[in-house]
Amino acid sequence: MLESSIKNNSLLCELKDIHHRFVLPNGNQVTVLTDVNLSIFREEVVALLGPSGCGKSTLLRILAGLIRPTAGQVLYHGMPLKGVNPGISIVFQSFALYPWMTVLENVEIVLKAKGSPRDDVKRLSDKSIRLVGLAGYEEAYPRELSGGMKQRVGIARALVVEPEILCMDEPFSQVDALTAETLRAEVLDIWSCAERNPTTVFMVSHDIKEVVSMADRIIIMGNNPGSIRNILQNTLSRPRNSRTLEFLSLVDRIHHIITSAIIPDEEIPITTAKVPSEVLLEPLPEVSVNEIIGLLEFLDVHQGEEDIFHLAIQIHKEFGHLINITKAAEFLDFVDTPKQKILLTELGKRFVESDTESRKRLWKEQLQKLAIYRRILDMLRKAAKGRLERGYVEEELVLHMPQEDPVKMFNILTSWARYGELFAYSEDTGYITFE
Amino acid sequence: MSNHVTKVFHKIWGGFAIPHKPIRFRWIDFLLVLGIAGLFYGLVSVEREWTGVWYPPVEIDLNPWLLPKYTFFSMIRGIIAYGLSLAFTLVYGYWAAKDKIAEKVLVPLLDILQSIPVLGFMPGLVLTLVGLFPHSNIGLELAAIIMIFTGQVWNMTFSFYHSLCTVPADMRQVASTFQFNWWQTLNWIEVPHAAIGLIWNSMMSMAGGWFFLMISEAFVLGHHDFRLPGVGSYMSVAVNHGNYPAMVYAIISMVVMVVFLDLFLWRPVVAWSQKFKQEETGAQFVTSSFFLNWLRKAGLLQYIGGVFDYFINAGTRYLFSKKKAHAEEFRRIRFPFHIFVWMMYAAFIGLFGFGCWKLSHMLQVLSLSSWTHISWCGCLTLLRVLAAVAIGTLWALPAGLMIGLSPRLSRIFQPVIQIVASFPAPMLFTPIIIFLQIIGVDLGFGSIALMLLGTQWYILFNVIAGATSIPADLRESSRVFGMSRWQRLKNLYVPAVFPFLVTGWVTATGGAWNASIVAEYVVFRGHTLTARGLGAMISQSAERADFALLTGAVLTMSAIVVIFNRIVWRSLYNIAEKRYALE
Repeated sequence: MLESSIKNNSLLCELKDIHHRFVLPNGNQVTVLTDVNLSIFREEVVALLGPSGCGKSTLLRILAGLIRPTAGQVLYHGMPLKGVNPGISIVFQSFALYPWMTVLENVEIVLKAKGSPRDDVKRLSDKSIRLVGLAGYEEAYPRELSGGMKQRVGIARALVVEPEILCMDEPFSQVDALTAETLRAEVLDIWSCAERNPTTVFMVSHDIKEVVSMADRIIIMGNNPGSIRNILQNTLSRPRNSRTLEFLSLVDRIHHIITSAIIPDEEIPITTAKVPSEVLLEPLPEVSVNEIIGLLEFLDVHQGEEDIFHLAIQIHKEFGHLINITKAAEFLDFVDTPKQKILLTELGKRFVESDTESRKRLWKEQLQKLAIYRRILDMLRKAAKGRLERGYVEEELVLHMPQEDPVKMFNILTSWARYGELFAYSEDTGYITFE
Repeated sequence: MSNHVTKVFHKIWGGFAIPHKPIRFRWIDFLLVLGIAGLFYGLVSVEREWTGVWYPPVEIDLNPWLLPKYTFFSMIRGIIAYGLSLAFTLVYGYWAAKDKIAEKVLVPLLDILQSIPVLGFMPGLVLTLVGLFPHSNIGLELAAIIMIFTGQVWNMTFSFYHSLCTVPADMRQVASTFQFNWWQTLNWIEVPHAAIGLIWNSMMSMAGGWFFLMISEAFVLGHHDFRLPGVGSYMSVAVNHGNYPAMVYAIISMVVMVVFLDLFLWRPVVAWSQKFKQEETGAQFVTSSFFLNWLRKAGLLQYIGGVFDYFINAGTRYLFSKKKAHAEEFRRIRFPFHIFVWMMYAAFIGLFGFGCWKLSHMLQVLSLSSWTHISWCGCLTLLRVLAAVAIGTLWALPAGLMIGLSPRLSRIFQPVIQIVASFPAPMLFTPIIIFLQIIGVDLGFGSIALMLLGTQWYILFNVIAGATSIPADLRESSRVFGMSRWQRLKNLYVPAVFPFLVTGWVTATGGAWNASIVAEYVVFRGHTLTARGLGAMISQSAERADFALLTGAVLTMSAIVVIFNRIVWRSLYNIAEKRYALE
């Protein structure tokens, strides 16, 4: 009771019933976020974790007031947000430094924009640059700095306005691993100093260990469409050691949540026998044929089974993307995914051991079992002159996968079909035909 | 023997059948055939017109029903000039890129050629060519085409040369690993690599070429009135007679021609060229063309393409097959450069020497006082040119930023601006001059407005291109940190578009110098308006056939332009590249 009242007092920002849709240039709409409710309090580190394309960065931009959500409300200190959120500054994934300004100018400009007095501009900029360990580099231009140094400038710039909330959008993904480790610790040091801002850090990440080592609250998001799947409290005491049992077990718990939320064990209704024209179908994961085959080859070498998160580390892939690859392989019945394990099926094993021609045949057979391909083939058979126009197929995709970008779906559809020689598509004419 | 014939026949037939897809002839093909027949008829009438006995001046009938014919003549001139430009570009650009010695001469020469006012050379050109073909219109037609050509060619050549120099090393290595001959390298690697740049520059060039249309079709030199039937001369006659309806008709038919070329030539070509894009750049605009889609569906085009491919392949196979047998010899199989190169050198040196000798003779007539007069006029025109560019920047920079930063606005405005920009500015001089007379501005200042008319688009185009290429995260950061509109302009937008702005300025000043020749000296309803300046001096001396003064003025203008380019623009370019380039 007491705790909840303290929390209420320290409420900083609230996201209420956020929905967001993009309108594609061709007029179709794609739902990016749906039904997001989230509160952000004083003195916490909140991390958004999720696979690529789940709308984490969009959510961060909605919180910052850069994007107006299609529906829902953003409250800042209890008041509805109009325009850009005044209590926030952002550290960008790609640094977003102005190349024509020196380090000092890049930091100062933010204070000048705020209209600070001239003395303050100089003093605070110096202080902020010193804080991130860039003293001596004031006159350097961004192009002279390494990725890690550039991000330090990005952090100094974000901190100089003393924001209540420091937003970071995958801040360390373009920085080498060792530097990232140092920067994480430094950001936490800066945050933990209670008498100055930022009081709260709000970060977006796809790195589970990073999130566990930094965040008090971990918000796990899923895609199709983007929404919050789970919120975890991380009560491990700081500083956190990534080799302790508690740390590893929390990492494991997150693994488990992600796998069960994104690749559930129960059968996905993608291979329904008959496809009426208005049935909703699971979208095809955005992965290439080669990635799927690569996964199968890897599993074959590793005795046909591997933990999905270990695999992500071994092949240096973002787990969000690896999950998509796994999902695609599962669609085709080449793998099975009990919990967070990936198992090569009999069929998958046969596929890996075959030569190219037989692989293509197996691939074709599996595609023919997928409802969406059955539908397209059916249309193709009935089509006049034995050809289907691209726009017509895209309309069909919109009908079955209304949440997805039909152009993307079409590209995946044809690239998979091309490998199996199921049908051919010529970009010059814009027609799908039988081989 | 007959066996041999059947074999050849089969071979050719095989070639004709190259498009494997079933070809169905439909009404589209019928229309295409009709179109080709119509074009053929038009060309025949052009030919008749050209070889017609020439007695000056050709009478231009202001009957609006004759305008389609006149417009067609003008369009054919523009297209022939473009063909010449393309041929020149391919040869000159290829030579400059391949021959290291020639490069040292050719590239600076190109730079000078593109920056000097070509209009100044019109009188000499017309006299020479008319003298060569005294009994027909050919000389005059050639002069007009060459004038349009000189308005088109330079930036195309630069673009092609630049593309050839920047073919990625790995692509070149592919060519040498698989032993492509020079034709294959050109056809499969170099031209595709250069295609997009060349096509965009072609569009700009075509627009630039129309600028000279009115002057080159209706040219007065001394007592001679050199006139060719065309929409440009129609306009100039209409202006001379003060016939307002006729002026409006001419402007309308010019607009129709520009839109026609845009829809049926440039859009299809641009849409087609998108297949040459090398990197995937996510949110770029995709140009689509209904005409291209339509052509692609027509069987006839595939058929013609197949035949064309067949002959090209057969031709190159024949040319290179004998030598391909010897791998050792293969390395030496190249375009027979050396002979060609030395011939070009000789021609150059000869021409240059002859020109210098002639020039020095001609210039002896000019006294010191006339030189000071020329220089003074040069300063006046320089000021006008700079004023025109400054005014152009003042409106085009904010407008370009607004359009470029909003995807919605750029979708709406991009095609419109493209068409407006290709409209030849001199055709609009009359309405503007009338307006200026009403508000009481003399030509001294009014000519700035006239110069502005043709050159502002270059600035606008470049600013739009620059604004669309500003990364999203930089824009987001400026919003997050609460920069005001003015701060954003100062800290982000202007620095980010600066390199593009410099390019726009260079092109715009070039255009303004050229425009000064027609803008400072305007014939209107039978009397002439002049402003003191170098441009007016060139026009006047041409009309009075005062060749010494003409040459002096043209040389001075060239010198000012080249020096200004070297000192001002070059250093701005360096600053832009060093400081303001976005990684």
